Amino acid sequence: MDEEPERAKRWEGGYERTWEVLKEDEFGSLKATVEEILFQSKRKRALESHGQVRLGMMRHLYVVIDSSRTMEDMDLRPNRLKATLKLMEAFVEEYFDQNPISQVGLITTKNKRAEKLTELAGNPKKHLAALKKARDAACVGEPSLYNSLNLAMQTLKHMPGHTSREIVVIFSSLTTCDPANIYELIKTLKSLKIRVSVIGLSAEVRVCTVLTRETGGTYHVCLDESHFKELLMFHVKPPPANAQSECSLIRMGRCAHVCFSQTLKHSQTHLDSTSEVGLSLGGYFCPQCHAKHTELPVECKICGLTLVSAPHLARSFHHLFPLEAFRETPLEELPADRFCHACQGKLKDKIVFTCPFCSGVFCTECDLFIHDSLHCCPSCINSQHSN
Amino acid sequence: MDATKPKRRRKRHHTATEIDEQLFVSHFINLQLHFVINKDELNLLVIVMDVNPIWWGQQAQREPEFTLSKCLDAVMVMGNSHMAMTTTNRLAVISSHFQDSHFLYPCKNWTGGDGAWDGTMDEAPYCGDGKYELLSVANNVVAEEMKRVMSTTEMKGNSTDTLLAGSLAKALCCILLKIVTFFSAGQEMKSRILVIKTAEDCARQYMNFMNVIFAAQKQNILIDACVLDSDSGLLQQACDITGGLYLKIPQKIALAQYLLWVFLPDLEQRPQLVLPPPVHVDYRAACFCHRNLIEIGYVCSVCLSIFCNFSPICTTCETAFKIQLPQMMKSKKKKLKQSI
Repeated sequence: MDEEPERAKRWEGGYERTWEVLKEDEFGSLKATVEEILFQSKRKRALESHGQVRLGMMRHLYVVIDSSRTMEDMDLRPNRLKATLKLMEAFVEEYFDQNPISQVGLITTKNKRAEKLTELAGNPKKHLAALKKARDAACVGEPSLYNSLNLAMQTLKHMPGHTSREIVVIFSSLTTCDPANIYELIKTLKSLKIRVSVIGLSAEVRVCTVLTRETGGTYHVCLDESHFKELLMFHVKPPPANAQSECSLIRMGRCAHVCFSQTLKHSQTHLDSTSEVGLSLGGYFCPQCHAKHTELPVECKICGLTLVSAPHLARSFHHLFPLEAFRETPLEELPADRFCHACQGKLKDKIVFTCPFCSGVFCTECDLFIHDSLHCCPSCINSQHSN
Repeated sequence: MDATKPKRRRKRHHTATEIDEQLFVSHFINLQLHFVINKDELNLLVIVMDVNPIWWGQQAQREPEFTLSKCLDAVMVMGNSHMAMTTTNRLAVISSHFQDSHFLYPCKNWTGGDGAWDGTMDEAPYCGDGKYELLSVANNVVAEEMKRVMSTTEMKGNSTDTLLAGSLAKALCCILLKIVTFFSAGQEMKSRILVIKTAEDCARQYMNFMNVIFAAQKQNILIDACVLDSDSGLLQQACDITGGLYLKIPQKIALAQYLLWVFLPDLEQRPQLVLPPPVHVDYRAACFCHRNLIEIGYVCSVCLSIFCNFSPICTTCETAFKIQLPQMMKSKKKKLKQSI
């Protein structure tokens, strides 16, 4: 299985003189260099782009959270488990914001067993509630990588072929307790086209390296809390789709919201939960069977039709038509006293950004906002020639 | 003491502006007395006005009582009352044309920077009637800029749709800049956008519009819509997603009243008032092949384009789909009867 040469470890490489990056100016202050470094880190995310690669839009993702004894370590404040759960709440919200028609499920592993915290669902409320409740759970025993992957695989293998099947494991222990040969399981995962990625909290573990390499995922070990957040948020973006995944037309129903409907009906989504009252005034009706549901996106329990609303699909469009990165030009090249085209503020930074299509000039903050949230150039859409 | 007969007052017709002023004063006093206003927060209201000259030209022929100048008067009454509520309220006005969007107020041509935001002005014109100077400055600037925009814009190209998505994008960036500036000074800022729409929707701007709406929702910025002529599906979706109010005005002449009663209170005060109920939003999408609105359709898993009928190839991304064929049953071998 390991015919590929492994990459060189950090201690085997040459010396890196990291102190040479910082340069003092004539007064001995480091302000300019620090600003430069901050500026580069802001731009780093904007520069990555997938280009014309097919992305997996409908994702089924399982997140496996290690709840073993090592998660009580306090190297992440207040302890590893609480820090992880807090970041997971942010992850779930961001995930549904970027992938509105995808689903997420949560699994925890401790005491050599794996347990499903929540099933695969498309609505963030249940996951957030479960994560809040899990804060009080105790961390005991050893994790079991085999059991958790097996549990996730049982559900994922029944998912249709055009969706992407993923597992993200947050692994903090250095050991795992498996009832059977994990390499066999890795072969099975590879044949089912399930992509497994691991985020390590302690150190690099060889089993995880092999697992991620074989299934096509990524493996990183976090350095501190902000790096952990960055690694976790990396999985929010849709990954490039597998070459062999099938593309198909999915039958979906688009629902209009009905407010203050005349008859009180039992909502189908409330049949599972016993703590909520089942009657509500407004809701969504399935266009095929008129069963009532309170939240979208959901699969109709009566007729099996996937129900979405148009904004859900529209949220994913910016992945398909990404905005190109803007060109950097130094401020001196522009005629004096120019204003940023988007926010009408004076241009003060040394470097300004120009859109390659319409030559609109933007300041750093606007450029970050445009590429992160807005996904369209304000001066391009203010001209008549946009489509 | 003789009870004096109350003198009979001569009835006279109140002009529209007098009614508006009385309403404004009473409404303003009511709001001040009943609600506590947080003085440390900045409230920014951005008004986006649709000044499509083609629609306004036709409107001037249809109904001469309600022209662009009357509409602008009503909008400035609302802007003035917003700024008069507390000293920490701010205003911005953007005009949305089919060529470009311009900031009418604050305007960099006039103050040469963003001096108007801090309330410091170099030469405030003397307004003679004792009005709060900021209000008279705002009125003058908006009137001047509007005249300039309408007279200097030339007809280029042949598209006559208002660039609403572009104006909203500019409004968002401007709000963001102010948030950053004031946040560093330790003040919080809440903002909302009021769109006054006249012409019809442009289907080509759908994607840009949706991007802008989602960006506004992420920043917790409300989008309210006041529609004068025909219903706009895009604005209904925008108001539903961001949590704002959508209202189609039955009588255009009473625009000032609607603006003051419905759109002046901000987010904290709205649950305590009885406002127009939310409208039924039509979230059906149009299929890519016929542009019909459909309820049940087929969605391509690669490019998310919508079709009304099953077809083996997606026209947008040209992927071939796997068709589910019925399974072939193996024919059972019939036992040949042995002929004796």
